[in-house]
Amino acid sequence: MANFILRKAEPKDVSDILRLIKELAKFEEMEDQVILTEKDLLEDGFGDHPFYHCIVAEVPKQHQSVDGHVIIGFAMYYFTYDPWIGKLLYLEDFYVMKEFRGFGIGSEILKKLSQTAVRTRCSSMHFIVAEWNKPSIEFYKRRGASDLSLEEGWRLFKIDKQNLLKMTNEE
Amino acid sequence: MTPRHMPIEAAQSLRYMTLLNTSRSLVGLTPKPEDCKDIARMIMELAVYEKMPDQVKISHKELERDGFGPNPFYQCLVAEVPEDHKSKDGHTKVGYALFFYTYSTWKGRTVYMEDLYVMPEYRGKGIGKALMATVAKVAKEQHCVRLQFSVLDWNKPSLDFYLAKGAEDLTAKEGWHFLRFHGIALDNLALEAP
Repeated sequence: MANFILRKAEPKDVSDILRLIKELAKFEEMEDQVILTEKDLLEDGFGDHPFYHCIVAEVPKQHQSVDGHVIIGFAMYYFTYDPWIGKLLYLEDFYVMKEFRGFGIGSEILKKLSQTAVRTRCSSMHFIVAEWNKPSIEFYKRRGASDLSLEEGWRLFKIDKQNLLKMTNEE
Repeated sequence: MTPRHMPIEAAQSLRYMTLLNTSRSLVGLTPKPEDCKDIARMIMELAVYEKMPDQVKISHKELERDGFGPNPFYQCLVAEVPEDHKSKDGHTKVGYALFFYTYSTWKGRTVYMEDLYVMPEYRGKGIGKALMATVAKVAKEQHCVRLQFSVLDWNKPSLDFYLAKGAEDLTAKEGWHFLRFHGIALDNLALEAP
């Protein structure tokens, strides 16, 4: 059952990636907030200027999920920049389907990401976690992650499209 | 003059000029690696304000390497004043906004504003607002749906500035915390290969 491979996502994977994105959003209790489409994922990940990179976890056909899927986990990441330390790897989404947990797939994905980070000269891997998501926070802390919101007081902010447009018009 | 559309592929640093005695603004595309010395200076000033100057590990050299070329890791806007309005210590580059493109699996293309800074003697003149509005303009041109950034919880002046513009605190509202694997923790994780 621990038979799986990790590979770079390909254009043909966008349908599975979107399915997994929605599953993760459901877990985070925000499924209705996913407005991204397969077309967006295709254009934005596999066009001239990729906005993200993606790894998928695939099991052999004989181990497919109860609803017939072989792509059973993914991680989406991109490179960001810290003016103090330079390049960073930012982990945007990281998910393994419930029925495939406990087999070390998540650990392997994280390992692969950290190898990518080191290979591409990143000094750090950053990500966000919801504070109520205790299992995930423990998973990361066990592996040496630190909570910058607690340790240094960083708070995440957003300005949505409506207010962005307001700002551009006010100039 | 309005900013020209900035193609994502081209590594360009956009210089933004504000004439202090009028509200007119001039924008030009002038990719100059030597701007990096001023950007590095202001990065350090901001780090001092954030009480973490010893955490700055890169210099103008890395900024040059990483911001100019076929694959820039960040974009930067610099606010410049005319020579006769230069600062006490002779600088004409008095503010900057450093940002990059990120991706939300829910909404698609987003902009993350990593740093926004205006030298103390130039505050209260609308430069910070103008820098941020230009970041918003660039975001809009690249079809980004959201601007994200982070603020330290004790930084009341900045918190007030952003909240007044319609920013929402996602840490308070939705419980998001920033985590990282850094330095040795990252190396250890990478070495765990079977």
